[in-house]
Amino acid sequence: MDELQVVEFVATYLKKKGFSEAENALQAEIQRNKSSNNTNPIDILNDPELSKFFRTFSESEDGPARYQDEYSKLRSWTYSSLDLYKHELLHVLYPVFIHCFMDLVAKGHIQEARTFFNNFREDHEMMHLRDLQKLEGVLSPSHLEEMEFAHSLRHSKVNIKICQVLYLFLFTSLHQNTYIVKKSNHCQSFYQYSYELLLQYLHKTQSTKMLGIINERINFQVSPGQPSSISDDAEIVTLIGSNQDAANQINQKEVHWGLLEDSLENRLEKTGLISDSEKAEGENKEAEIDENKKRPVEGGKQGASIKKLKKDKAINATAKTSRLEANTVSTAPRVKPDLALPVMPTEVEQSILEDLRNRVHLSSAALPSVSFYTFINTHNGLNCASISQDGSLVAGGFSDSSLKVWDMAKLGQQAVSSGLQGENDTTPREDIIGPNGRKRSYTLYQGHSGPVYSASFSPLGDFILSSSADTTIRLWSTKLNANLVCYKGHNYPVWDVQFNPQGHYFASSSHDRTARIWSMDRIQPLRIMAGHLSDVDCVRWHINCNYIATGSSDKTVRLWDVSSGECVRIFIGHRSMILSLAMSPDGRYMASGDEDGTIMMWDLASGRCVTPLMGHTSCVWTLAYSCEGSLLASGSADCTVKLWDVTTSTKVLKTEEKSGTNRLRSLKTLPTKSTPVYSLQFSRRNLLFAAGALSKTS
Amino acid sequence: MSIVPKETVEVIAQSIGISNFSTDAALALAPDVEYRIREIMQEAIKCMRHSRRTTLTTDDVDEALKLRNVEPVYGFASGGPLRFRRAIGYRDLFYLDDKDVEFKDVIEAPLPRAPLDTSIVCHWLAIEGVQPVIPENAPVQAIAAPSNGTNNEQKDGLPVEIKLPVKHILSRELQLYFDKITELAVSRSDSVLFKQALVSLATDSGLHPLVPYFTYFVADEVSRGLNNYSLLFALMRVVWNLLQNPHIQIEPYLHQLMPSVVTCLVAKRLGNRLADNHWELRDFTAKLVAAICKRYGHVYNTLQTRLTKTLLNALLDPKRALTQHYGAVQGLAALGPNVVRLLLLPNLGPYLSLLEPEMLLEKQKNEVKRHEAWRVYGALLQAAGQCIYDRLKIFPPLSSLPARSVWKTNGIVATLSNKRKTSMDLEEQPPLKKIATDGPVDAVSTSSMPTPMEEDATAATPLDNSDADHPSPSSVQIPPDSGSESRSKRDKGDSQAQKLSAILPQVWKDDLNSGKLLVSLFELFGEGILSFIPAPEMSLFL
Repeated sequence: MDELQVVEFVATYLKKKGFSEAENALQAEIQRNKSSNNTNPIDILNDPELSKFFRTFSESEDGPARYQDEYSKLRSWTYSSLDLYKHELLHVLYPVFIHCFMDLVAKGHIQEARTFFNNFREDHEMMHLRDLQKLEGVLSPSHLEEMEFAHSLRHSKVNIKICQVLYLFLFTSLHQNTYIVKKSNHCQSFYQYSYELLLQYLHKTQSTKMLGIINERINFQVSPGQPSSISDDAEIVTLIGSNQDAANQINQKEVHWGLLEDSLENRLEKTGLISDSEKAEGENKEAEIDENKKRPVEGGKQGASIKKLKKDKAINATAKTSRLEANTVSTAPRVKPDLALPVMPTEVEQSILEDLRNRVHLSSAALPSVSFYTFINTHNGLNCASISQDGSLVAGGFSDSSLKVWDMAKLGQQAVSSGLQGENDTTPREDIIGPNGRKRSYTLYQGHSGPVYSASFSPLGDFILSSSADTTIRLWSTKLNANLVCYKGHNYPVWDVQFNPQGHYFASSSHDRTARIWSMDRIQPLRIMAGHLSDVDCVRWHINCNYIATGSSDKTVRLWDVSSGECVRIFIGHRSMILSLAMSPDGRYMASGDEDGTIMMWDLASGRCVTPLMGHTSCVWTLAYSCEGSLLASGSADCTVKLWDVTTSTKVLKTEEKSGTNRLRSLKTLPTKSTPVYSLQFSRRNLLFAAGALSKTS
Repeated sequence: MSIVPKETVEVIAQSIGISNFSTDAALALAPDVEYRIREIMQEAIKCMRHSRRTTLTTDDVDEALKLRNVEPVYGFASGGPLRFRRAIGYRDLFYLDDKDVEFKDVIEAPLPRAPLDTSIVCHWLAIEGVQPVIPENAPVQAIAAPSNGTNNEQKDGLPVEIKLPVKHILSRELQLYFDKITELAVSRSDSVLFKQALVSLATDSGLHPLVPYFTYFVADEVSRGLNNYSLLFALMRVVWNLLQNPHIQIEPYLHQLMPSVVTCLVAKRLGNRLADNHWELRDFTAKLVAAICKRYGHVYNTLQTRLTKTLLNALLDPKRALTQHYGAVQGLAALGPNVVRLLLLPNLGPYLSLLEPEMLLEKQKNEVKRHEAWRVYGALLQAAGQCIYDRLKIFPPLSSLPARSVWKTNGIVATLSNKRKTSMDLEEQPPLKKIATDGPVDAVSTSSMPTPMEEDATAATPLDNSDADHPSPSSVQIPPDSGSESRSKRDKGDSQAQKLSAILPQVWKDDLNSGKLLVSLFELFGEGILSFIPAPEMSLFL
């Protein structure tokens, strides 16, 4: 082979591929070689193996069969590798797979792309079924451009953590050559070392396509040491459009997850103290004083130091279990509300305080009572159900654009007056299930012009918000039984709406990929939260009203600062669309449930998943924390209400940061009679209300 | 390459009036059609999720089309699945079977009933974490099913705490029912209501959850109320009726139930008044015990042995009261003739020798005691008689055999004459009959001294054995219910007993054991036992 010819070929190849640095190096080398008259001992050009290798470049530059060939080689190599490394290597396989497919499509080899996809899709179905379903339809280069998901995939790199040993492994097996290594900053030292290895492997197979893809699409984060275990799954699984680094940066931001300074719980604590001191419990007083001293110190700090304090507290608290709840509440840092919150009428305040005092303490040993509201004769038309804070009102949004509200207290009275002799007067609400009167048993709210997807009661139960496919949100008064305001702003169906825990403000989420903050007195949104890559399916307020959380079809949950409108957290880990969210009453945690039945519990401060909760077999429609935060209830399409112990898991997390073992415990599964559970609501006294529509088909 | 073939695209093009549609265009459009369809379906799935459903409907597709600003496809309701039919002559061409509907028919059709309006019912899904057993909740089986789920979790290696069910929930209705029944049993056991309650216990299907409570109730009340005759009787009737209920699995509770039942059988005192007919209670309980043994003997194979042991101990202990003896005898008797034969009869002699003095006026001055002794004697007599009657009954099939067929077996029978259950030899019939007819005449002389005669009989039996006589003449029917029959014939039997005794040995020649048995019984009871000889035999002797 002619020496110059080869040099020229290499040079043009590098130029064509845009590897200017490598090209310059080559040019310099050639210059040097020329001047020094071929004194270079490692002569690439005289090496027959190497020249053969380069030749194959040009021959099969675009050969679609090569993708299939090389991918299957890489796959079999991965599967046959040591178990120790296999796990990490498998993560490399998926991005390589989808990029191979997209490359094939982009180059117009539709038929080959389809065969390739069908050959290997089974490998990834378990982890990435939704993505694969999306990609499957892509059949022309124009689709790639059009489809946002594919587009974002092709324009961003995938971050994969990989240990150093594996990195070497992978690249040596892929026949690392010089220009690739040069591109990778991590491996400068590896370059000299691996040259021998490279030559050794060169004669085997030439997986240039794979190499190209890995180099182009994947950003390896090489970490020293042994391959890590499955724990870091979450970050690897989701290929999201936005830059991973950006997401990490966002998650560095500070989140003030503490409770509001002047909350009712706070006040209850004080009043509770007075009543306690009446009982002459000196010890309690001391403890309270202690806490008061600590509080200002804690208020300033965030994060780890508080965690530690909390841990200490928890140990202390075990001794005096009766005051456990007060302790956990008081340790949470206090924050000032960013929004001007409405003032609560005193009588309401009093009643709430009364409720809080009479609250049943729930724990793994003391499970709540569950009152279930079953919608019957819905004819598959019930889209959502909502229960007011005290459980006295139940709203259902229907696909025939109507919103119906039942007053459970009235329902009970009717039964008493019509049916029985009135002997049940002392048990007003739940015990009596009587036939409805001749008249309609509900209040009908008509006004929407599309299916009603969500309804939310104001904290006091005097207003209802409903969101609909007609892109509007409507505010109804339960006192006047009339529509008050129609909020227009979204451009697409509004999937979810929720009142602020203090009332007055509310948040909505829509198919238009935004979440919006509104106040009752303005018909324009106050904030628009944009950033999700797909529909925003659900929205929940943080307990301190400064944040909202949104769950989306892009499989992420985001936390937004209400005052600035910025995204402050991205929670990555779900494998399918997020359907439900719940915020813990202490503000530290958030739970999210997805389409597959997985529930994840997140630590807001760190942005990491505390633990996934497996158990449901179908969509998790609703989640609710008990009032003191010790239990999480979840309602699902598999016709069960599950109760999860939240305290044990968080304690485990604090004491021993073991990964994998700290899954939350499922305490109890309450099966319903073929009734999917649409909505759950803990009353202030910790009675759990659940609602669902009886579906006879199952 | 696309799942939409180009032909489909061409057909669609034709249907909207594009005639000159090139194949290339169709080929290019096909993948795009697939892409759009997938896109719409993915949107439709989103709509489905937001409608809180897990099945996709045409409404969802319409919503998805609206999201894309596309006109929805009209005319498809979500009522049922679409029915496609195959076009005749084509293998892979399908069409929707859309019937033509006459406007007139539609207009004239009566209005369908308005669908029921949506409403809400409310119930307790759980009370402090425990699901009440009410119709609104999933049935118990469904509750048991998720336990598999926890097992599955265990496979994952998760630390799952499995709690055993510790609480047994009774619905309010059942609790009321139980309270009512127990109240009736305790206080008003003679009322009509209690009888109805017993019927309900024997027939109602939903009582199984109450069985442990009833068991406990019975055990508790029996141990406390031994002096209260009517209560005890009521309790036993409760047990009896529970036992009759086909929907109840009572086996697991038998071990708790049996002691109280046996107590009612062999207790020293049942009831505190003389008027209390505790004999009747003992008889009833004996029947109850027998019924339990019969039904669950195969499940608990130690049940009967333990029971008989208890009863026999009670009987053979001379220190026990006669009432206890009576109960034991009745219990054993109720367990069947085999038990009597194996356990009771061997002990009969010694026992009667003990019992004899008690029965005699001169030896036992206490009238009550004497009465009791006579009772025991009567029970023993009946048990033994039942036993002997049963032995006799072994032969009825033969009696029904047509005479001729038996004649044929003559030769064989003659050779096998010594064996039990050998066919009777009808050759002997005429002489037998003759004897029978002669019987009374012969017997007259022996009337005064049964005992020596008995000895004669025993001596004669083995000798006569070879003759293989059979007592049951084929011409006579054996009454199905021998007890009543024999009793009805009692007078006759009594009067003729003395005469009969002489012939008796001959009657049992065919069966050495039976014969001996009867002889020994006769020795012990005298003519009393003869009343248990079935009528045909009686008639034989007459």
